[in-house]
Amino acid sequence: MAEAIKSMTSRQRVMAALNREPVDRTPVCNPTSVATVELMDLVDAPFPQANREPELMARLAATGYTELGFDTIMPVFSIIQESSAMGCKIQWEQKDNWPTVKMREPIWETADDIKIPADLCTHPDTKCVTEAIKILRKEYGDEVAIIGKTMGPWSMGYHCFGVEPFLLLSLDDPGKTKLCLDRMKEATIDFGIAQAEAGADAITLPDHATGDLVSGEYYERYLRDLHIEFAERIPIPIILHICGRTVDRMDYIAQTGMHAFHYDSKNKPAESMAIVGDRISLVGNINNPETLFSKGPEEVSAEVIENLDAGVQLVGPECAIPLQTAVENLKAIPQTVRDWHKNVA
Amino acid sequence: MAQTLDIGRRIELVSMDRHFHDISLGLYCLDGADGAEFLVHSYSRLAGVPERVAFVVEAMKTMGGLVAAEEGRLRFPCGSEHNRGVRRVFLDICKLGPDEAPAARELNVFDQKADATVTVTSVAGGRYTFAADKDSDKATMRTGAIANGIVKLAETILDDDTAVSFECGHCHDILVAQLLPRAINVRAAVREQEAAANRGVLAAPSQQE
Repeated sequence: MAEAIKSMTSRQRVMAALNREPVDRTPVCNPTSVATVELMDLVDAPFPQANREPELMARLAATGYTELGFDTIMPVFSIIQESSAMGCKIQWEQKDNWPTVKMREPIWETADDIKIPADLCTHPDTKCVTEAIKILRKEYGDEVAIIGKTMGPWSMGYHCFGVEPFLLLSLDDPGKTKLCLDRMKEATIDFGIAQAEAGADAITLPDHATGDLVSGEYYERYLRDLHIEFAERIPIPIILHICGRTVDRMDYIAQTGMHAFHYDSKNKPAESMAIVGDRISLVGNINNPETLFSKGPEEVSAEVIENLDAGVQLVGPECAIPLQTAVENLKAIPQTVRDWHKNVA
Repeated sequence: MAQTLDIGRRIELVSMDRHFHDISLGLYCLDGADGAEFLVHSYSRLAGVPERVAFVVEAMKTMGGLVAAEEGRLRFPCGSEHNRGVRRVFLDICKLGPDEAPAARELNVFDQKADATVTVTSVAGGRYTFAADKDSDKATMRTGAIANGIVKLAETILDDDTAVSFECGHCHDILVAQLLPRAINVRAAVREQEAAANRGVLAAPSQQE
């Protein structure tokens, strides 16, 4: 029972929940960004600079803990840091929009083109991440869990080959697709290890085999074994992130040995818990566009409670939140968790 | 110690103020003693932010018909929220540079499609009538369209083709006058507002280019 557990620090709470061990209360966790334009203003760390300068990246990320009351700090707001290091063209955008890879200008066409640069982890846009993690570890010590991010090879395939060419390749030539994934996986592992060495407690691994594009059978065919390998080779807990309806692959995901799955609001908490059981922790799944962005604290609380009632181990937004999300909606997440545990006690 | 404030429900946000260092400006709604109150707030701590906020607050009075409430907040004299109207006025005001003097508009607007000026007249009980200075089918049609535009922008009730009313029963001449030019092409106004609000929503990789 939660009330029997001695009071924990945020970091202890998160690490215990990732290991499905008892916690004093459910941790509030953001495996992806909770940066907003208002928080950027508060700490004078706006996009795009906060994606490229370690001090600003760390300062903005810390607001998730210091201002919102989450139990985690996650400084890798975007999904393009290592793609930039690999040579993809990046649209860095402005303060109020996300940087994106120009996927209509792919850098690779075949598996033979794949070359992971020797400076992958020392390129300014990846070094920014490891330096930010070091700053945060120094600043916050053991009190809060610091989460990094390394992109999976399926996502990198979209960035480096383009979405459509990569998906067509997966239909036309499974062998070559597997070869591509196998070559790109080293970037995932190297960047993950670099962040672990910089002081990250856990790492988010987005691999966008999303429900709208890729079936559960695809996941099993192309990604399950790779994800098992990631769990074996990256020395800190991994939080797999896949958007969309994913109940058709949750059983496979639960077989990977990863510590947690960051799941989307298109999946009901109870049905998801029923599939994964105690094989992997779930993190999520407060809806972003309809709830956190467009509704109010009451609706946010209702979704938090649905997760808590289902026994979801870590509660948080389903994905990187919209940059205009209201602060009061985000603060409603930890507040609801605390209230729920008081009521249960 | 957290520095974010419990300042009510944010009802509108300008994510980048082009006229002041790209700061964000929020419009918050709170329950006051006499009804809904509004607070203009920025979390930016750059020098000059209080002056920029004060400019917007004053302009909300001049161009939106709001009045001062306690602690720098604003309210409509009727105490109603008039959510869509106040948001639209806030967005329009944030487009003004510091050198532009806020000024209330007239209760008429020239409509190119009708080639006529449509005048709005305030009658008792928060009711407004719309009339064109030309007697043509096009002018009649456009007068109705502009009245409908005010219904959408200010959440008024359409009494008939050429008359609308505020549910609060109070007059809001300055607000109606400010919204009138937008009512000519209300779809464009709504599209612009939605596009601005949706910036910064992360698209799945499959939706990116």
